[in-house]
Amino acid sequence: MIWLTWRQFRGQAVVALVALGALAIFLVILGLQLRNVYDANVGCAGCSVESGAQLLKDKYFSVLLLTGFLIILIPAVIGAFWGAPLVARELEAGTHRLVWNQSITRTRWLAVKLSFVTLAALAFTGALSLLFTWAASPYDRALNDRFDPLFFPTRNLAPLGYAVFAVVAGITIGLLTKRTVIAMAVTLAAFTAMQILMPTVIRPHLQGPITENVQFTAVAAHGIWTNPAGQVSVEGYDVPGAWMLTNEAKLVDSTGAQPSKAVTEVCFTGDFAKDKACLEALNLHSVLTYQPADRYWTFQWLEFGIYLLLALLLAGYAFWRIPRGLS
Amino acid sequence: MKPVLRTQGLSKSYGSRPALIDVTLTVPAGRVVGLVGPNGAGKSTLLNLAAGMIAPTAGTIEVLGSRPAADAAQLARIGFVAQDTPVYAGLTVGDHLRMGRRLNPRWDDALAEGRVAQVGLDPAQKAGRLSGGQRAQLALTIAAAKRPELLIFDEPVASLDPLARRAFLQSLMEFVAELEVGVILSSHLLSDLERVCDHMIVLTGSRVQLTGDVEDLLATHYRLVAARGGLDALPPGVEVIHAEHTDRQSTLLVHDTVGAVPGLAADTEHLNLEDMILAYLTRAALGAVGARAPQTLEAQR
Repeated sequence: MIWLTWRQFRGQAVVALVALGALAIFLVILGLQLRNVYDANVGCAGCSVESGAQLLKDKYFSVLLLTGFLIILIPAVIGAFWGAPLVARELEAGTHRLVWNQSITRTRWLAVKLSFVTLAALAFTGALSLLFTWAASPYDRALNDRFDPLFFPTRNLAPLGYAVFAVVAGITIGLLTKRTVIAMAVTLAAFTAMQILMPTVIRPHLQGPITENVQFTAVAAHGIWTNPAGQVSVEGYDVPGAWMLTNEAKLVDSTGAQPSKAVTEVCFTGDFAKDKACLEALNLHSVLTYQPADRYWTFQWLEFGIYLLLALLLAGYAFWRIPRGLS
Repeated sequence: MKPVLRTQGLSKSYGSRPALIDVTLTVPAGRVVGLVGPNGAGKSTLLNLAAGMIAPTAGTIEVLGSRPAADAAQLARIGFVAQDTPVYAGLTVGDHLRMGRRLNPRWDDALAEGRVAQVGLDPAQKAGRLSGGQRAQLALTIAAAKRPELLIFDEPVASLDPLARRAFLQSLMEFVAELEVGVILSSHLLSDLERVCDHMIVLTGSRVQLTGDVEDLLATHYRLVAARGGLDALPPGVEVIHAEHTDRQSTLLVHDTVGAVPGLAADTEHLNLEDMILAYLTRAALGAVGARAPQTLEAQR
């Protein structure tokens, strides 16, 4: 059965290896470049870590963001092109009636196919994730924002969870729809939905976030603005390495109430540095919510675990379904 | 020996549409079984149930004494060639044999290679490029080389031209003789089955109309011709399958289960298989149309 699975998968494997080779070359070059820039601007004696990090961000934010999207896109593509057709194409072409009448049970047939392709997807995505995590590590060290939702899913364990989920979802959806193209579309839709739900609805609540009352300081604020009612908002309070759930915080006074318009309005003169100093003198606070940096690995494992669990549930359904006849 | 096929109240519906209704039959071992009936009669459903491809809605089915596709051992005992003889278009003929070798513990390599050579298949050729007849031969080879105890074919010759049809059936009969394997095959054409089968199941409208060994069936079915009214009272155990009346004489096709027919009418002859099956199919068709048909017959009297 392993031979047959390999024989049917061979063509896709060759395409995948070519793609992996090209991506690996790109990632290695990217990683080496980043290391050079890092050594010259951040890791050097007497360099300003802050301006070095800013330089890295200016030069590499876009390319790392886009490559990160690619790292997430690959499990989706794998799910649609490896997972979805695995059973659906057999049902569509009627060849299941050939293979299911060899001396092998359907359960075993599915077990071998599913394991084989899932392992292949894990290996492929794992290699890419490893390379990308390595390539981006100087950037992550300097900027310390790998917990950010834009970067979190692209590094370390998370992509592996996506790959397993995508493949198994593709297989199970194919078993249900019995049509390859429909299965591919539904798989992509399901994958996308999960990618939206996870960072917005599920991931922030995996552990209770930390809420902190922070004194407003001129140094930490990147942007301040006020609305007509005199409510002042501040942007850019960063807890190092943390995932900030509060992007713009409203400033309150020591009693927790909104300061009156008369009090804050005098601080908005148009001179950014002076305005910040003026607000600092008012002894204002903001309430920040975030997931601290030391939870990064817990969250990676939880992300991986949740997707793995979903994959197991879907696989369980497929194994329950397949011996029961298809119509 | 365990019966090849035994069903009890077997029914299968797709949604609300019945495909097979209350089929109870027993096919003894060692027969070449023909399953005949018009398209849509439920032949494929019955064979797919026998191969374990689908599960019954109600009732039970046993093939060689076990539940179909119950485990790998049961799968090894049955070679099923589905309708349209599916093969992997992207795999070569040789790949198919390799698949068979790897997935079947009793695989007979010599038989497989021999057959492929004999029917002139090129092992390097992609199965997707084979003609219908070649594909059927490949499917037959795979099914036979796993050395099952029973071969099941669902309309194996439906898509073949007359020449390929003859060659395929010829191959099939060679196998049967050579391997001592039981066979069930279906067709909507009696002519395909008549020469090769010694047991018949006639299926129409999702129900079994007739089943039995061909020899027995031939021995117990008669055409009686007598003067009009001379056959109105038939002894018990003689069932009228079809009746035609003209002004002067009546022609009855009857099934005699008790041996009471000889001597009933001056003009008595055995039915051939085709006429017999046609009579059953006609009866089923008339029944399906409803009560109108008998009234028409009535009016002719």
